[in-house]
Amino acid sequence: MFSRFIRHIKEGFFGVGRHAAMSISSASAVTITLIIISIFVIFTVNVNSMTNKIEGDVQISVMIDYNYESQENIDRIGLAIKELPGVDVVTFSSKEEELNFFIDSFTDEHEKEIFESYREDNPMHNAYYVKIKDGNDLQALKTQIDAIEGVANSNYGGESSVMLVDALGSVRTGGFVIVVALSLLAIFLIQNTIKVTILARANEIAIMRNVGAKNGFIRAPFVVEGMIIGALGAIIPIFATIFGYIFAYSKLNGILISSMFIMIPPHPFVLQISLLLVGVGMLVGLIGSFLSVTKYLRWKR
Amino acid sequence: MITLAGVSKTYKNGVNALYDINLEIKQGEFVYIIGPTGSGKSTLIKLLDGEEVPTKGNVDVVGINVGKLKHSRVPLYRRNIGVVFQDFRLLEAKTVFENISYALEVINMKKDIIRHRVRQVMNLVGLDDKGSSFPNELSGGQQQRVAIARAIANKPKVLIADEPTGNLDPVKSDEIMTLLEKINREEGTTILMVTHDITLVNKHRKRTIVLENGHVAADLSEGGYIKHVQ
Repeated sequence: MFSRFIRHIKEGFFGVGRHAAMSISSASAVTITLIIISIFVIFTVNVNSMTNKIEGDVQISVMIDYNYESQENIDRIGLAIKELPGVDVVTFSSKEEELNFFIDSFTDEHEKEIFESYREDNPMHNAYYVKIKDGNDLQALKTQIDAIEGVANSNYGGESSVMLVDALGSVRTGGFVIVVALSLLAIFLIQNTIKVTILARANEIAIMRNVGAKNGFIRAPFVVEGMIIGALGAIIPIFATIFGYIFAYSKLNGILISSMFIMIPPHPFVLQISLLLVGVGMLVGLIGSFLSVTKYLRWKR
Repeated sequence: MITLAGVSKTYKNGVNALYDINLEIKQGEFVYIIGPTGSGKSTLIKLLDGEEVPTKGNVDVVGINVGKLKHSRVPLYRRNIGVVFQDFRLLEAKTVFENISYALEVINMKKDIIRHRVRQVMNLVGLDDKGSSFPNELSGGQQQRVAIARAIANKPKVLIADEPTGNLDPVKSDEIMTLLEKINREEGTTILMVTHDITLVNKHRKRTIVLENGHVAADLSEGGYIKHVQ
């Protein structure tokens, strides 16, 4: 069994070497496809991470009315917010903490002193900070929170953050669609290359069939060959990804446009992308050659 | 061993290749199939090796109904029959030894058994010293010997030879004939040989089945050339 496996691998490599020109041409097709896939994956994953960060940052601050400052009311309002669907984390901040936070926001000692006098008659509200699961629910949740008895008002970052989340979401979906389309294109290209390889080796296949080789035995070296072509096609994209991303990251100091868009650090990100590229290359090779050989073997009895 | 009962074959393009063929070939027989071009010889071979399915009737070889075989079972069936072609069909990139051993590797035979059997058949076909030669270094007659060695390597019960002497001069043809007779005798292999070579048919007399326009025109147990065959 093992020697058979080794034999198929050997035959696969032999096949790639024997049809070197053809292998190189289809490996280059895979290379181009994988480079584009790499760019889109890097872009999509980064956008994804930025979106998650922005979504994570979006929170609703809820001010509690001065007439509802009893512990009983505070607990009731907190519980009512927690029970709303789409709410992730709810944090309480007392009016004293709010004032401390406000005073600490000044750097000037003199200014700080001015506000210290407010400790006697604290004008701040008790507050809840509500993190939500999905940025799209922001407006709906705000309305529901406002309706709770004892809530003075609530607010969030505003429309712009919601729009940004929406826009990044569209970019993410678009990137994914393009990656899938490109993979299908690569499968088609490999399928055609293997088809030509098969026709070039029709004589050998005929002999294999004559001496009683099972379809799986005939198919295996071609599938290995397809996978090798796919893996070879991944070499240049991998190097381009590693060096290109590290270069871009260091050039941009890991930040895109503003500090809100923080790039994913290169390690281990580029290695993960590299593994993905080899995986996609080999999978595309496997599917392409499998389809091609199976189709050929089916109409030859 | 081989039974054809009421076998007809019509191709998808409407060509009728065989009509109601009834034949019985016993184990260990050596049979010629002769006939002009288009008489149905090739179709008969394709039906026997499972490449084509009869439109009507049954093709039974070594107890297997070949026409009813599932696509995936055809390779296993083929291990019972060896086929030799006019154009040898050897793998140019492999040596003589590798060409023969290939047929045994494909059916997953153990390496030491393969080595033993390949040497045995190389001796049988008289190519003991050509193991490391490549096909293009051999004469046509020698290449056909390699093809025969490959076809009988896994001891098939039936050997189908499709014009095995078609590309050879009379002397080499005679040598191949002698070799096939030896295999028939020593290995007990049933041999079906399609040929155009009248001299051979007359010289090495065997049962001769004559096909004409898809019909069995004659089945002569004493063999010999039929006057109206071209």
